Amino acid sequence: MVRRSGRGAAPDSVVRVVARMLPAPSVMVAAALIVKGYAEVGDGFAAGVIVALAVSLTYVAVGADGAEAVLPVLRHAPKIAVTGLLLALASGFFPLVYGEEPVSHQPAPGEPLTKFGKLELFTQLLMDIGVFLLVVGVLVMLLHQFGRLRGEEKS
Amino acid sequence: MIIAFALAAAVLFGSGAYLLLKRDLVRMVAGIMLISQAAVLTIIASSLNRGQAVIHVGPDDDPSDPLPQALALTALVIGLATVALLLAMVHRVVVVFRTSEQDALAATEAEVEARLERKRQADREEVEGVEGAKEDDAEAIEHEELGRVR
Amino acid sequence: MALDRGRAARDEAAPAPRLTPDWPGWVACATAAVGFFACLVGWLAGGDGFSVPWAPSLDLHLSFRLDGLGAIYGLLATGIGALVFAYGTRYMTLHLEHERRGAVERWRFWPWMLLFAMAMVGLATAQDLVLVFVFFDLTAVCSYYLIGFDRSDSKARTSAVMALLVTVVSAVAMLIGAVLLYAAYGTFAIPELIERVGPSETTTVAAALIAVAALAKSAQVPLHFWLPRAMAAPTPVSAYLHSAAMVAAGVLVIGRVHRLLERSELVMTGLLVIGALSIVVGGVLALRRDRLKQVLAYSTISQYGYMVLLYGMGSSTSNGAAAFYVMAHAVAKSALFMTAGAVTMATGEDRLSKLGGLGRRMPVLAVASAVAAASLAALPLTIGFFKDELFFAAAWEEGSVTTVLAVVAAALTLAYIGRFWVTLFLGAEKGQVTERSVVMVAPVAFLAAVTVVGGLVTEPFARLAASAGEVTAGRPVEVDPGYHLELSPENLMAIAAWTLGGLLLAAPRLTTVLSRTLARAGDLFGPRRGYEAMLHGLDRASAGVHGLEVRDLRSSIAAVLVPAGLLVGLAFAATPTDGAFALGHVSGADWVILPLLGLITVVTLVIARSRSRLAIALALSVVGFALAAVYALIGAPDVALVAVMVETMLALVFVAALARLPQEEPDEDRGSVVRKKRRRRDVVAGSIAGLAAFVTVWGFLSKPAAESVSDDHIRLAPEAHGGDVVTAIVADFRGLDTLVEITVLLVAVIGVATLMRRGKTW
Repeated sequence: MVRRSGRGAAPDSVVRVVARMLPAPSVMVAAALIVKGYAEVGDGFAAGVIVALAVSLTYVAVGADGAEAVLPVLRHAPKIAVTGLLLALASGFFPLVYGEEPVSHQPAPGEPLTKFGKLELFTQLLMDIGVFLLVVGVLVMLLHQFGRLRGEEKS
Repeated sequence: MIIAFALAAAVLFGSGAYLLLKRDLVRMVAGIMLISQAAVLTIIASSLNRGQAVIHVGPDDDPSDPLPQALALTALVIGLATVALLLAMVHRVVVVFRTSEQDALAATEAEVEARLERKRQADREEVEGVEGAKEDDAEAIEHEELGRVR
Repeated sequence: MALDRGRAARDEAAPAPRLTPDWPGWVACATAAVGFFACLVGWLAGGDGFSVPWAPSLDLHLSFRLDGLGAIYGLLATGIGALVFAYGTRYMTLHLEHERRGAVERWRFWPWMLLFAMAMVGLATAQDLVLVFVFFDLTAVCSYYLIGFDRSDSKARTSAVMALLVTVVSAVAMLIGAVLLYAAYGTFAIPELIERVGPSETTTVAAALIAVAALAKSAQVPLHFWLPRAMAAPTPVSAYLHSAAMVAAGVLVIGRVHRLLERSELVMTGLLVIGALSIVVGGVLALRRDRLKQVLAYSTISQYGYMVLLYGMGSSTSNGAAAFYVMAHAVAKSALFMTAGAVTMATGEDRLSKLGGLGRRMPVLAVASAVAAASLAALPLTIGFFKDELFFAAAWEEGSVTTVLAVVAAALTLAYIGRFWVTLFLGAEKGQVTERSVVMVAPVAFLAAVTVVGGLVTEPFARLAASAGEVTAGRPVEVDPGYHLELSPENLMAIAAWTLGGLLLAAPRLTTVLSRTLARAGDLFGPRRGYEAMLHGLDRASAGVHGLEVRDLRSSIAAVLVPAGLLVGLAFAATPTDGAFALGHVSGADWVILPLLGLITVVTLVIARSRSRLAIALALSVVGFALAAVYALIGAPDVALVAVMVETMLALVFVAALARLPQEEPDEDRGSVVRKKRRRRDVVAGSIAGLAAFVTVWGFLSKPAAESVSDDHIRLAPEAHGGDVVTAIVADFRGLDTLVEITVLLVAVIGVATLMRRGKTW
C-alpha cells in the first residue's frame, strides 16, 4: 500500500477507479448495518470497520498522500474519533443524571418504540453511532500513522 | 469435537509461546497475535452448546450461547488495538536502536543505561539531598560562638 | 540560600524589574478574611453541621461540624491566614523581584496558599475519619508545592520531597487505622466511633497508627527532621505552616480523636513520652541555631511538644489548656516568623551572627516582636502567660516528673527566644537596612496587639478554648486563666522557669556545648539517617529491578510463563482427572470445521517455522480468516463478521508496518552451535506451553458451566428491543464493557501516534 512508487508498479487502474467510488457506498452499507443492527448481524463497530476498509482501499490504490487529497475529510479523523467517544460515553453515563444505572437505555425495556421505517429510535442508537464514529476515526488514524511514514524516519 | 478445538487452541498457544522466545521483535508480535487467537477460539469453543445464530430466538429454538460471543467480540477489538500499538512500538524501537534483534537491543540498552548513570545520580541527589546542600544539624550552629567557646 | 544568590544577582546586574501590585495575593487575603468572619459568626451562632452522603456504598459521608475545636483551628487558619497573606503580598513581590521571576509565578503560589487554608478549615470541621485523611493529605500536597516554590534551588526541592514523604507516608498509617476501626465498629464517623469503641487490641493498634500520622505532621520526635528543612520555603509559607496550618493539623487530629486514643493506655503514655522528648530536643536544638528561621523551626517542634504532652495527660484541665496553647502559640509564632522574614528582606541576611542592633533602625518591628517573643516565653501581660499558667497547672496536677519537665521546658523557651530577640534587636549594629515595608510590619504589630489584648482580656479566648476542650474531652471543661498574686504552684513554677531561663540565657558557653552535642548525636544516630538510608535502599532496589527488567526481554517473559506453567501443573496434580476429559462427538457442520481446524494448525506451525516476515503476515491472516469461518459455522455470525474485518485491517496494518522496517538482517551466526542449542530450547519450551494449554483447554471445554446468564440474556433481549442477542449484550447488558473497550481503542491509537509521530494525531 505504501510502496506506490517504491517498485515502480502503479496499481491497476480498475483498483483506482473502484477505490475512488467505494467510500460513498460503504457509508451506505454502514448505515444499513447500524439500522438493522438490533434485528440482524452487525453493529456500530462492524459499520465503522467497513467504512475504514473502504478508505484503506483508497490508501492502497493511490497512496497516503493521494488518499488524503482525494478525501480531505479524513483530516478530521481525530476529531471524529473523540466526538464518537464522547457521544458513546455520554449516552452511556447520561442515565446517572436521573439516578439510573449507567447504560440503561430509553425507552425502557418493554415500552413501545418509535419506528422510522425499519429504524428503531432509542438511545442505544446514539451509543452505536458514537462507536461507529470512533471506530472510523481510530482506524483512519491508524492508516494515516502507518501509511505515511516514509521520509519522516530520517528527521 | 472438544478435543479438536482443544488441539487447535493448544497449537496456536504453543506456537505463540515459541515465537515469543524468538529474537526478532516482529516474530514476537506474531506470537502475541497467535496467543490472542488461541484465547478467542477457546472462548468461542466454550459455548459448545452450538445451535443456530442467536437472532430472534423463538421458544423452541436451540440457540448458541451468546455470552462467549459477546466476550470474543471485545477480545477481537482489543486485540486489534494491541497489535497496532505493538507494531508502532517495534517501529519506534527500530528507528531508535536501528535493530529489531533482541540481543542487539539488550547491548544497546546497556550502553544507554551506562550513559544515563550520571543523570540518575543527579536524580538520586535530588531526592536525598546533595552533599553540598546537605546541612548537618551540628554545622548549623553558630560558628562564631563556637570559636569563642573554644 | 536562594535569597543570597538573588541578592548577589541584583547587586551585580541591572536593577531587578519592578513587579505590579500583587492582586492575586490580596484576593487570597480577602477570601481568608471573609472566611474568618464566617467562622466567627458560625461559631457564635452555635456552630451547626451537616452531613451528605459521599460514597454511600463505602459508608463515606461528607460530614462537617463547626464545633469548638473546629472553630479554633478554622479561626486560626483564616485569621492568621489573612494576616500572613497580606504580609505575603509584599514579601512575595520582593522575593520574586530578587529572584528575577515574573509576576506570573504568583499563580504558582497563591492558589496553593488558598487551598492550604481551605484544606485546614475542612480538616478542622471534618467529622469523618476518611475525610480527615483526605484533608490531611491535601495540606501535605499544598505544603509540597509551597516549600518547593523556589524550584531552581535544589535544597528547596529536597526539603519539599522530604516533607511530603514523611507526612504523606505516615498519613497512610492513619488511613489504615481508620479502616481497622471501620472493620471492627462499622463506621468512619468520629462521633459514632467515640461512642462505640471500647478498649481492645484493635483499638490500641488503630489509635497508635492515627497518633503516628498526627505526630509526624506535628513534627514530633523522631519524625521531626523534616520541619527545620522546610525552612527553605518562602517566609509567609513558614509562618503559616508553623502556626495555623500543616503542623497544627497533627495536633488538631489528636484533639479530634482524643477520646479514641484515650481508650488505650499505651497510646496515651506514648503521647506523654514523645511530647516530653520533643520539648527537650526541640528546645535544646533551638538554643544556638544560627539561622533565624531555624531557631523558630526547632522552637515549633518544642512548642507542639507541649501540646502533645498536654493531650497525653488527658485530664479535663490539660485538654482545655492544649486548645488555649494552640491559639497563643499560633499568634506568637506567626508574628515571630514574619519578623524573621521582614528582617531578612530588609537586610539580606538570615543569620543571627550577621545581625544585631536592629532595634534603633526598625523600632516598630522590635517592639511588636518583643511582645510576640514575650508571649512565647510566657511573660505576664501577654496571652502567652496564660498558656504556661494552664500548662503548669496541668503538669502540677499530673505529678512531679511533669512538673520538673514543665519548668525545664519553659526555661528553654525563654532562653532560646530571648537570645533570638536580644541578638536581633540589641547590641552592636550589624547588617544594612535597605528595604522598609509597612505591609510587612503591620501584621506583626497587629498580632502583637492581639497578644496584649489577650493578656488583659482573656475571657473570649478562654471561652473558645473551653468549648474546644469540651469537644476533645467529651465533658465540660473549665478554662479559667487569670492573674493570681499568690504563692500558687503555677506562679512558683513560672518564677523558677524564668530564673532558670535567665541563667541559660546568661551562659552561652553551656548552651552551645549542650546544643552542639545533641545536634552531633542527632546527625550520627538521628532519624534522618534512617530516612536517608531508606531512600537509598529504595533507590537501589528500584535500580536492581530495573536492571533485571530491561536486560533481557526473554527472561521477563519466562518470569511470567514459568510460574504460570508451574501453577497449572500444581492445579493438575491436585485435581482428580477421572472423567474430566470428554472427546465430544462430530456431527453436521463439524465435518467442515474439522478440516478448517486442521488448516489452522498447519498454517500456525508454518508461522512458527517461517523466517520471512511477509510470509508470517500473510499466514497470520490465513489463520484469522479460517478462524472467522469456524466462528460462522458454529452459530456466531457476529463474531465471524467482526473477525473478518479485524483480520483484514490487521493484515493491512501489519504489512504497512513491515514496509517501514529495514530488511531482515542476514543471520551471521546462523547454524552456529549456540543458535542450534537455543533453538532446541525454544522448541521444548513452546511444546511444553502448548501441551499445558492443551490439557487446560481440553479440561475446560469438557466441563461446560452448568448455569450461565446466557439464558437470561436470551430471554431479556426482545424486551430490550434487541433481535440479535449478541448485539443486545454488547450494547446494553454489558454496555459498560463496550464503553471501556472503545476508550481503549482511542487510547491505543494515541499511543501509536505518540510512538510513530511524536504525538501528532494527524
